[in-house]
Amino acid sequence: MSETATGRGWAAQDVRRELHSELLEINMGPQHPATHGVLRLLVRTDGEIVHGVTAHIGYLHRCAEKIAEGCDWRQWMVYTDRFDYLAPINMNFGYAVAVERMLGVQVPERAEHIRVICAELQRIASHLIAIGTFGLDMGAWTPLLYCFREREEILNILERLSGGRMLYNYFDIGGLRFDAYDGFERDVLAFVNIMEQKIPEYDTLLSYNKIFIERTADVGVIDLATCLAYGCTGPVLRGAGVPFDCRKDDPYSIYDRFEFDIPYGEGEQGTVGDCWDRYMVRMREMYESCRIIRQAVDALPGGPVKAEDLKKLVKVPQGSLYTRTESSKGEIGFHIFADGGSKPFRTKVRSPSFSNLHVIEKVGPGMMLSDLVATVGSLDIVLGEIDR
Amino acid sequence: MEATAIHALLQSRFGDAVLDYVDGFEKGSLVAPGRVGEIAAFLRDDPALGFESLMCLTGLDWDGYDATGKGKSVDILGYDELGRPEASDRVGDGDLGVAYALYSPRHGHKHALYVRVPRAAPEVASTAGVWPTAAWHEREAWDLVGIRFAGHPDLKRILLDEAWEGHPLRKDYVMPGAWQGVPLDGRDYAACKWDESGVTLPDDVKRQDAATGPETGNQG
Repeated sequence: MSETATGRGWAAQDVRRELHSELLEINMGPQHPATHGVLRLLVRTDGEIVHGVTAHIGYLHRCAEKIAEGCDWRQWMVYTDRFDYLAPINMNFGYAVAVERMLGVQVPERAEHIRVICAELQRIASHLIAIGTFGLDMGAWTPLLYCFREREEILNILERLSGGRMLYNYFDIGGLRFDAYDGFERDVLAFVNIMEQKIPEYDTLLSYNKIFIERTADVGVIDLATCLAYGCTGPVLRGAGVPFDCRKDDPYSIYDRFEFDIPYGEGEQGTVGDCWDRYMVRMREMYESCRIIRQAVDALPGGPVKAEDLKKLVKVPQGSLYTRTESSKGEIGFHIFADGGSKPFRTKVRSPSFSNLHVIEKVGPGMMLSDLVATVGSLDIVLGEIDR
Repeated sequence: MEATAIHALLQSRFGDAVLDYVDGFEKGSLVAPGRVGEIAAFLRDDPALGFESLMCLTGLDWDGYDATGKGKSVDILGYDELGRPEASDRVGDGDLGVAYALYSPRHGHKHALYVRVPRAAPEVASTAGVWPTAAWHEREAWDLVGIRFAGHPDLKRILLDEAWEGHPLRKDYVMPGAWQGVPLDGRDYAACKWDESGVTLPDDVKRQDAATGPETGNQG
């Protein structure tokens, strides 16, 4: 530092310019725990201030869309599990709905209800991870353990249901692979009863914790215009103050029969669209999911769980269709091009985290480095789904 | 607004650049690849249309589409005993294309845009200036299908490595047997040697293959 700078003291306006040196490029990832998977963020920093962020993705790329060209329509379901491995049921759901719309298949009532119950259980499980690891990013260890405690119950139910603990492959084109076990409703209701009592506990533990609010409110603000331009969906878009949810605004399955609200960010602790808003949207969505599950369990009818007029080897008529559904991360879309054969001609997966991560290159510059960690955490990305 | 009305509006505005109305599961317009940028800007900015949201951008290879059920990729044929892929002489001859799925949050309507470009010169105008989200989707379309987007701010591979050769989602793509010394067919690469001619497998690996049959190693 030059003598003049010392002479004027630290408060002088142009000290920072005098201190300014070359920008330092640092790699955040690919093995950094705060990047939620194998993501590499190339960050250009001046001290602790971020000047530019470039996301390098593709470490988990398996070209599932190429694999689809070699599978028949039913077989590819198992690969959709592997996109968002924290919410595979939501991925299954998206693909099943996309293909069924093109086939014009009527899914049996019982299957629809079980699907909704599973999808909402999965949404809670995924949000629990989002909340727990977000707390972890902010230096709060304890909430993660509680989140995993409840998530474990969901995994137990889904394991009893499908046989798998992580990747379920439970949905099938035209319904479900097999019916639910005896006592499924009882287990689900028991879980929902517990879960609804636990949500206020999380609020006390994390949401309204003063340190947590200091770290997340007014941090990483993503406004509505940016969300629209960058294709952000799900809790990121809702955190920006818009109650947009495919379950209500582009209805699929039987969601139109249930009563539930769409939580959205209101800038309660700071600015609309900050990290706290996105976090809180997830927290409130878990409660709404519990409401949906209760209604679906009440209305659960008997009957078959597979569309009976559907052949083993389905052939989707020629044409293309983009279908979107609401996963826990946002809008999961399948743009399917069928040539009339027994295999998909082209299936493009529009994954929510792909677009949600893109926005970091826009909002990152100007942040403190520690706020960048908070923002990435609040986006709740899953790299399996970004890289496909 | 109905898809036919949207199409008519586009046609009255852009004339020849709007080629055809596409009817099917989803309704849309086939437009000229060079002018998709200005058409996109109009779709977004016109108050009656208001397509502020690009839901999805898909690059695809139309090769073999029209022969129903015949639109097949070159399967990974198998590997010879040196671990190199068996060659295929199939050459794709169809067009490449891009599909845009649009949504208007203001009006709640949807529309699709389609573009077809010849395989020999696959260039489409970029829409990244209109919908910033297109920037990454277009990079993906370049990476996996090999469509160039004129006017894209930073067109480079996104999912695959910069040094990768070829575009996997083309129907005539043949997967390489190895990449930078790493065999891609699931063998124990620590035991393999690599030189310009390909991967050399140690004798015991070859013997094992011969004893257990093709299902252990030769399927891609």
